Amino acid sequence: MDGYTSVGKRVPQRDAVVKVKGSAIFTKDIKLKGMLHGKMLRSPLPHARILNIDVSRAEKLKGVRAILTYKDTPQIKFSISPTWADKLPLESEKVRYVGDEIAAVAAVDEDTAMEALDLIHVDFEELPAVYDPSEAMKPGAPIIHDAFENNIARVINMECGDIEKGFAGSDLILEETFTTQAQSHSPIETHCCVATCEPNGQITVWANSQAPHSLRQRLSYALGVDASKIHVITPFIGGGFGSKIDLEPSQAACVLLSRKSGNPVRISNTRQEQYMFTRLRHPTIEKMRIGVNRGGKIIAKEARVVMDNGAYNSHGPAVLSYNNVMFSTLYRVENIKYEGYLVYTNKNWGGACRGYGDPQVTFAQESLLDMIAEQLKMDPIELRLKNANNPDEVTANKVFITSCGLKETLKEARDAADWAEKKVNKPRHRGIGMASMIYTGGGSIGSGSNYSGATVQVNADGTIHLMAGAVDIGQGSNTVLAQMAAEILGVDPDNIRLTTADTDVTLPCMGTFGSRVTLCAGNAVFQAANEVKKKLLEEAAEMLEANKEDLEINEKRIFVKGSPGVSVTFAQVASAVHYKKRKTLIGHGYYNGPEVVPKDFDPVSYRGYPSPAMVFGTHIAEVEVDPETGRVDVVNFVAAHDLGKAINPLLAEGQIEGGVVQGIGWALTEEVKFENGRILNPSFHDYKIFTIEDAPKISAILIEPIDPNGPFGAKGIGECAMVPTAPAVVNAIYDAVGVRIKDLPATPEKICKALKEKSTS
Amino acid sequence: MRGIMKMKKTHQIQVAVNGEAYTCLISSKTTLLELLRDDLDLTGTKEGCDEGDCGACSVILNGKLVNSCLVLAVEADDGEITTIEGLDRGDALNPIQAAFVDSGAVQCGFCTPGMIMTTKAMLDEIPDPSEEQIKHYLAGNLCRCSGYVKIMDAVKSSIKRSE
Repeated sequence: MDGYTSVGKRVPQRDAVVKVKGSAIFTKDIKLKGMLHGKMLRSPLPHARILNIDVSRAEKLKGVRAILTYKDTPQIKFSISPTWADKLPLESEKVRYVGDEIAAVAAVDEDTAMEALDLIHVDFEELPAVYDPSEAMKPGAPIIHDAFENNIARVINMECGDIEKGFAGSDLILEETFTTQAQSHSPIETHCCVATCEPNGQITVWANSQAPHSLRQRLSYALGVDASKIHVITPFIGGGFGSKIDLEPSQAACVLLSRKSGNPVRISNTRQEQYMFTRLRHPTIEKMRIGVNRGGKIIAKEARVVMDNGAYNSHGPAVLSYNNVMFSTLYRVENIKYEGYLVYTNKNWGGACRGYGDPQVTFAQESLLDMIAEQLKMDPIELRLKNANNPDEVTANKVFITSCGLKETLKEARDAADWAEKKVNKPRHRGIGMASMIYTGGGSIGSGSNYSGATVQVNADGTIHLMAGAVDIGQGSNTVLAQMAAEILGVDPDNIRLTTADTDVTLPCMGTFGSRVTLCAGNAVFQAANEVKKKLLEEAAEMLEANKEDLEINEKRIFVKGSPGVSVTFAQVASAVHYKKRKTLIGHGYYNGPEVVPKDFDPVSYRGYPSPAMVFGTHIAEVEVDPETGRVDVVNFVAAHDLGKAINPLLAEGQIEGGVVQGIGWALTEEVKFENGRILNPSFHDYKIFTIEDAPKISAILIEPIDPNGPFGAKGIGECAMVPTAPAVVNAIYDAVGVRIKDLPATPEKICKALKEKSTS
Repeated sequence: MRGIMKMKKTHQIQVAVNGEAYTCLISSKTTLLELLRDDLDLTGTKEGCDEGDCGACSVILNGKLVNSCLVLAVEADDGEITTIEGLDRGDALNPIQAAFVDSGAVQCGFCTPGMIMTTKAMLDEIPDPSEEQIKHYLAGNLCRCSGYVKIMDAVKSSIKRSE
């Protein structure tokens, strides 16, 4: 239809063969000569001063090769940005959560390393701890970081229009408070890092990082080592979902242990360590008020959010921004107020988690709109259509919307789910619910940059090598980027050799997050492939004595249009260029968009938060609730997503299906449970992620408006299917049995309790 | 760099893995998973939790599907083990492997070896399973990427390919 030969094709992942054979190398598959095993010594207390650390007995244990404390580090605080830096790789003065890093040991095997940990003696002065962010904000609460009064790490205030006038002019105002819980990414592969250090100081790190170039920068910063001395490679990653973006203290320790011991070192998390000591989704308390007119148009909306940061910053400040921006940008509303607080508590800290603050605020907004629809006696989908964003608009909070398929996602989901019929004719205890969403479809410039680079090289023998910084974390970016390059060069994607995520070889890429890779890395590949194509055609034109404009490429052969007999192969062109002309055939691309940042972009309130493109979606969940047990079964699910041009529909569906199941898990069964700062359920056994028996049938619908800022019109999809899932499910539960859960997860206990209260009232 | 000598191994066992015989020196607490990955360098079998919850370490031992993290290597003495590396024949993929590739059932690939081994064990026992049987059999293999939709497609496709 659109004449593409590679783009838009449902091709399997190019890495799938090595993965099904078991020959794909993940970080823990790497074994180096003389490799030692590292373990971290972590705080058993949620809040304490460190008085003394005594490693003398551990040093004497046979098989121990290096021990680190804060004295072995330059004691530079770090975070995802120096502005928010509040964490030392190894703490010197205080520990702030159960698990806080104090020391690290490298030994000949794991057992010896663990024995050594037991021999390190730490004297603590225990301090009062605070676990509830609302309590932590009050005067008199224990102070976790000295520089932050009332434990408030960040405040975001944003206002558009006239909020008071807006509410005054509303016919119906509803206000509710919703709470969301900590979720664990639960990738099946835990964190793992292998580091070696040469005598000349050159460091090589293999890490399952979603952002190797950023990791290199952050290691450089935190260890006080020149970045040129650090080489980071990301092997295959067994799932990330945001958990593998940060510099982990254990990665910094791994590097320092290898330097101190003179041997390579590997540090790998157990599953328990993964749950207890890696990032979580920030829990939130979302107080929301929405005012509408009788016709269903949203006149004013206001949110007051308290976000539980945990003990340290990680992505917290940016997650709060996304919580604001996604609330403020979805739907055409003139009068908006957002007040958000990011608050420290003595618990495992929040970080980037699929959706990045958006699922939390969407749960609140889409639940509240459902309540409004009911009071207006209006169909929930009609209510959304009435307020839906349109393409080529600037919102009240100054966000540019280029392509927008929100209305199409609403209509197509509605039809695919048989919404009209199911709303009216449903068996007892069955219900149907919906929710819509917005997210960034190309990362954002919020932190100051949004870069991805790529190189396309045609070798002397005509073979093609694509080198890109972007990391494939399983979503299939390797396949998609190769498809794009193949499309431009007129070859089969299998003809393209690919190297990614190696800081010595590939141009920098900020990382795989923010659903940015298809658009940002794709744009870089687009530029690079076109640049080398231009050079190829110029050379071929000379060889064929033709005009460049008259040439076509097909199957690695360049020929004159209409005269397929008059041609040269890539190999012939490349050979002539390298050996006769003594030149090379390389194209570079570097995207750092969007190109135009609005003049009044405010990096504090994130008003005018420019992403190259925004993406939209609508979910419809059909559930059956057992009123005796409170158990919810999702019997059907429709997820319609606007992702611009789908470069690979098979892989896009995979992202949607995976996101939906994670979202339903967050809605119903997943919760990181804390007691006195300690995680109670650090295992797959007790932290319930869906198995194949729980997963519903899912219809993934792709809506493809062509975006002017995306390569071939493409935008992102990775995080989107996690965003509206919970409110769709909770709205369906309400439709089924008339109880509204405002506090995730919607467990059987809560549903039974609500049903009991309903029957007695 | 300083040399390292790992801890003393005190037990000798014989195992046949993917048709090849090995004599191995292990300790009493070595798991079958550790034997495969660390001693035989067969890293296709993955460690997801090391406590029998996720199925990433699934292998077939004496005709039975096991979580290799829960089997002590000494228990596998004289045993016949099939791992993911034993399924394909050089260039040609096993029909289950091919089905997983073509159906889009492989995302990050970390759960994939275990998922495929479980599928093989199931089809060896039940050549034409119902959807309920498939769900029940595969319930011990966790996947966080796919939502299981295309994994179900792949398993159903495997059944057709095996016929």
